[in-house]
Amino acid sequence: MRGGAPRFLWVLAIAVYVLLLAPLVVVIAVSFGATATFDFPPKGLSLRWYQAFFASPMFVRSFFRVSQVIGLWTALVATIAGTLAAIGLVRFRFPGRQAIETFFLSPLLVPHILLGAAVYLYLARLAWPTSSLTLLVGHIAIATPYVIRCVTAGLVGMDPRLEEAAMSLGASRVQAFFRVTLPLLRSSLVTGAVFAFIISFSDINLALFLAGANAPSLPVHIFSQIQFEADPSIAAASALQIVIVGGLILLVQRLFRLRLIV
Amino acid sequence: MEGTGRSSSWALFVGPYGVYLLVFLVLPFANVALLSVYHHSPTKIAVAGFTAANYTRLFELYYATLFLRTVRLSLIVTAVCAILGYPLAYLLARSTSRIVTLGLFLLIVPLMVSTVIRVFGWVVILGSEGLVNQALRLLGAEEGVRLLYTEGAVILGLAQQSMPFMVLPLLAAIERISPSLEEAAQNLGASWSQMFARVIVPLSMPGLVSGSLLVFSVSMSAFITPALMGGRRVRMVGQQIYEEVLTAYDWPGAASLTIVLAVLMLGLVGLTLRTTRRRARLESARP
Repeated sequence: MRGGAPRFLWVLAIAVYVLLLAPLVVVIAVSFGATATFDFPPKGLSLRWYQAFFASPMFVRSFFRVSQVIGLWTALVATIAGTLAAIGLVRFRFPGRQAIETFFLSPLLVPHILLGAAVYLYLARLAWPTSSLTLLVGHIAIATPYVIRCVTAGLVGMDPRLEEAAMSLGASRVQAFFRVTLPLLRSSLVTGAVFAFIISFSDINLALFLAGANAPSLPVHIFSQIQFEADPSIAAASALQIVIVGGLILLVQRLFRLRLIV
Repeated sequence: MEGTGRSSSWALFVGPYGVYLLVFLVLPFANVALLSVYHHSPTKIAVAGFTAANYTRLFELYYATLFLRTVRLSLIVTAVCAILGYPLAYLLARSTSRIVTLGLFLLIVPLMVSTVIRVFGWVVILGSEGLVNQALRLLGAEEGVRLLYTEGAVILGLAQQSMPFMVLPLLAAIERISPSLEEAAQNLGASWSQMFARVIVPLSMPGLVSGSLLVFSVSMSAFITPALMGGRRVRMVGQQIYEEVLTAYDWPGAASLTIVLAVLMLGLVGLTLRTTRRRARLESARP
């Protein structure tokens, strides 16, 4: 086969996927192990680390009461703010539009460890104690650009004549927006909301600074557990996160061209 | 709606997030810039005033070493990602859409899972009682090998973490190169590797540049990976900032580090934007 890619390219590509996926596969495998040490392959299968996870008040609280709740709120607020911003950027022409767009996407580019430190020091100056609320504040800032990207892509790909047709048939602009534009944007909105959730759910760099000592998010709790007393219920918690994130990505991949966002 | 809205109604749409970012992004960094010239006091943390000491301190051996190590490791990680990422991006760009869908899924899931979980996986693999050492012992090795807390471990962890940032822009760039160019080069007698070096690499250069800048900036500001896989031996700037803020309470010191790193990153981001803009312009010029 003249001209085809040589076989070693495939070997390299598979090696890259092994590198990428090895830590995730190992975490999932360990979570089903039966012994207290990390053995791979596991010596016998069991669900005891999942039982240990659900029996640990700190793990349950950080997973269900902190990370999940903050993720959902982040998704809600970021979707509203991001959709408004995207409409403003796509459908209006005003001076400085390009600069504002760059500004709005800047949280994607500012390293999160720096943003976390900066917001922490700022809150300290305002004497505003850290809590789940301050973590939510940080997560909204970093998650909204993902929504802006999704909705912008959706709006750009949409024929503006559909809206104009609705208005020429007697709909007001608000009616046309809610009855025509919004339903057409559905998959962009869902994708944006899902990404906002994932960004919040996986974040650790902001959470280390902003979560507040009494309400660590799941990644922060995992971080402190790894440092102090690594037991495989960390693996169970991590495996749950991997499955949730993987499932959500699978869902949005059916709706949207992911490459426009990441 | 274009052009028909009242002259200021755009502000209603752009305003909320704009104000939000002003309050929770711009002001915090302005505060950091201010803190970075305050005096450090062990008892009061920060004392208002003006001093350049927090910046001149960064030229001391400890900080210079820290910065140099961070830059050196980030450059190595960028090179590793480029070398390993190119073949993958090329193959994906020339694959059927079904394979691309699967390939992207397997790239994006590791990217989106929390860093701390990926690092935990590496700790299980590389730790003193980890999988590699268990395997070595099965093969008859008497003593374990120290894999964790080495530069190699940090490079491995950071490369795994930032590989998708390299592959995705490269993939986008290579997809735009028409396969007929490859055929033409090969019909004119180029071997596959000559074709790759003379056609694919030059034409996908914007993707390589933006991928490299992304990987470099992710590595430069890494915290979790060096903290858990490098420990005290392989410290990077991210750890220093974290500790000066949360455990040492040297806020002016942390502020100066933050400003230096942020300015460095902003410069790089400016470069990235310029390359992606140029790419977008080239693309829109196409029929």
